[in-house]
Parts: sequence; C-alpha cells; structure tokens
Amino acid sequence: MRGFSRFLVATLCGLVIAAGVHIAAIFASPYLAEQDAFAKIQPTLTADKAQIISAPGGENTWLPKPDPAVAVAACAFDLRNGPMRVAARTGSLFLSFSFHKETGGVFFAVTDRAAVRGELEIVAMTARQLDEARATEDENEPSRDVRIVAPEQQGFVIVRVTAPAPSLRPQAEEAAKAVSCTAEQDA
Amino acid sequence: MDTEVTLTNAPAAASMHASSTPQATVKSRFVPTVFLVVYALLLALGLGLGSAYWVMNGNPPFGSLRLGPWQAWPSLGSPEADPYMRAIIARRGDVPLATGEGLGFTASADSEGRALDAGCSYSIGTVAPSARLWTLTLYDGDGRLPVTELGRRSFTSAEVVRDAQDRFTIALSRDVQAGNWLQLPPSGPFSVTLRLYDPPGAAGANLEESDFPVIQRLGCGA
Repeated sequence: MRGFSRFLVATLCGLVIAAGVHIAAIFASPYLAEQDAFAKIQPTLTADKAQIISAPGGENTWLPKPDPAVAVAACAFDLRNGPMRVAARTGSLFLSFSFHKETGGVFFAVTDRAAVRGELEIVAMTARQLDEARATEDENEPSRDVRIVAPEQQGFVIVRVTAPAPSLRPQAEEAAKAVSCTAEQDA
Repeated sequence: MDTEVTLTNAPAAASMHASSTPQATVKSRFVPTVFLVVYALLLALGLGLGSAYWVMNGNPPFGSLRLGPWQAWPSLGSPEADPYMRAIIARRGDVPLATGEGLGFTASADSEGRALDAGCSYSIGTVAPSARLWTLTLYDGDGRLPVTELGRRSFTSAEVVRDAQDRFTIALSRDVQAGNWLQLPPSGPFSVTLRLYDPPGAAGANLEESDFPVIQRLGCGA
C-alpha cells in the first residue's frame, strides 16, 4: 500500500511537470521552428524587390492553403542593416502589406486604402532608429514617411495582391513583384 | 522424488526469503525512489511533449469565431495571437491574413454539422459578408488544392454569376452543373475556405451568421 501511494505521488509529480513541459514546448516552438515562414523567406534578404512565394493559381508553393486568386510575395528584413522602406505603386487591384516578426506574429498591416496618390510607402525601423531619425530631422520640413516600429530586429513583409478574375492574375503577379524593399542607410 | 524435491526446496526458499527480507526493505527506500523519479520525469516528458505536438498539429484551441459552419480565428493575424496560435503558425509554416488585410473562414462541415464529403453534392449560397473582395476556395483533406478535370478550385466575388436579386449559388459536385460549379475531388473529405479581403470594420467584428452563405447537402452517392 505504501508503494502504491509513492507511485501515486510520482504520477502526480509527473503530471505537474508534464504541464510545465507542455507550456515550455508551446512557448519555445516559434523560436525553434526551422520550417516556419521566416526560414523560407530569409533567402530573399538581399533582394531589393519582393519575391513571389505563391503565384496566383496556387501551384508550386510551400504556403499552406494558398488562395488561387492572390499573388503573395515576400521580402525579409534585418533592421541591423538600417531601416527598411517598402514601397508599392497601387492600382485597381487590392494590395496589402503585412509585417511579421521573425518568430511569427503580425505586428502591422496596411492595405492600399492608405495609399497617397497611388503610392503606398512604409518605413519599418527599430525604436532606436526612430529616435535617431527624429533627432536628425529638419523641424521645418518634417518627414512624410509612415514609420512603424518593429518589435524585433528581423522579420518579413508579406505583399498580397488579389486577382478578381483569372485574366488579371499576371497583372497581380507583376504588381506583387514590383514592390520594392530597400534597406536605408541610417539617416 | 517429487515430494522429496519440494520438501528439500521449500525450507531453502523459506530461508532465502527470510534472509532477503531486511535487504528488500532497504532497497525499497533507494532503488524504487530512483525508479519513481525516472518514471515521473519520463511521464512528464512524454505527456508534455506529446500533448504539445498534438495541439500544434490541430487548430488553435482558443479564440475561434464560429458562425454556422464557418470558423475563423480573428486574432491569428494580430499581435494578440496567443502562444498556441504562434506555435501552430510556426509549425504550419503559415502566413495568416493579418487583421488589417482580411479574415479567412473555413468550413469542414455543412450547415447541419455533417462533415463535408466528396461523395456528396452541395450548394453554397446565397449571400456573403460585405468585403472589397471575397474568395471561396476548395481544399482536399490534406489542405491542398484539389486536382480535378475542371481545373477550377475557387470563385471570387467578381467572378461568381448572380441572379437579379444579387444572390449567388455555387454548386459543389462531381458532375457537371449549370451556373457556378466547382468540381469536387474524386473522394474523401474536403474543406471550403471563404476569405474576406478588406472587410469593413475590424476583422471579425459585426459579422453575423445570417451574412454567411449556407452550405446545403443536396444528396450523396453516385
């Protein structure tokens, strides 16, 4: 009987530790994942145009459940190289940017409704770079950039352009590919 | 002979038992404790990692929005995503629609709760929530775009043919149908995803079940 109660205590301890292991595994997995979206997008870091990761039609893509009516392009950024400027010319097709952290998770998103005179331009920077940019700014001529602060140094931008009809798919793909992502020198 | 053997063995066994009893009590304080610790740790690792793996291969357990057969996770594409959502996104290698971009709803059952099966035929209609554009896409049981003779796997709000009251009906079946038709894969379960791009208001807010298309099962079998 004493052995059985010891066994019960050990089982209870095991269950309590199991809960801890479960929580730790869930929290750690975005940092440990090697097949997540960032790992697949990272090779585009040096490109200064967004790279198509899922062409309209949804063929040949690693993206799970691709939408055939949407062209998805991505560019990775590393803010240690300076702030990153993402710019697109908007047209009649829906276009959106979403900014993702390295460990997954969206920190900002914007659609072409926010475009000014057909241009959608966002500058992603760290909090420190934002302070520097403000400090060096000419007070009489403030920058018109839309600046957003990234919570992590690395991440990626996803560009989505929809093609309402199959005949518009090449146009959507071109629009997604034309988005530029350039690292700026600290200004 | 037999009785002799048992007679000779019995006392020996009894004496062995008697002599080993003190040792056994000493051992039961040391060896089993080690075993119990190892057992507890193995149990913890097995259950903890196993349950984490199981959860990560499924849908996020919390924060779902269910409207009829349609299910979405509005905070999946927002900074408020919970740790399970983040783990699942990382596991899938997925890039969810961000809150500002739109929202994706998935149905894997019809409006009466029966699992969608390619052996049956369905109709989806007649209304959809307002959005700048919506797309309705068919996926097979593994989440891939199905390969069918028709080649079409999705409809967008711009393509779909509507009646005079601006309502639409999309037929899902193996055989040719008039009007909006998506061909189902030859067999197995499937799912339908309705993505709303640039819906008015915050994603997931002010959506009602009556705004969503009904998935009606028309019949099953060949």
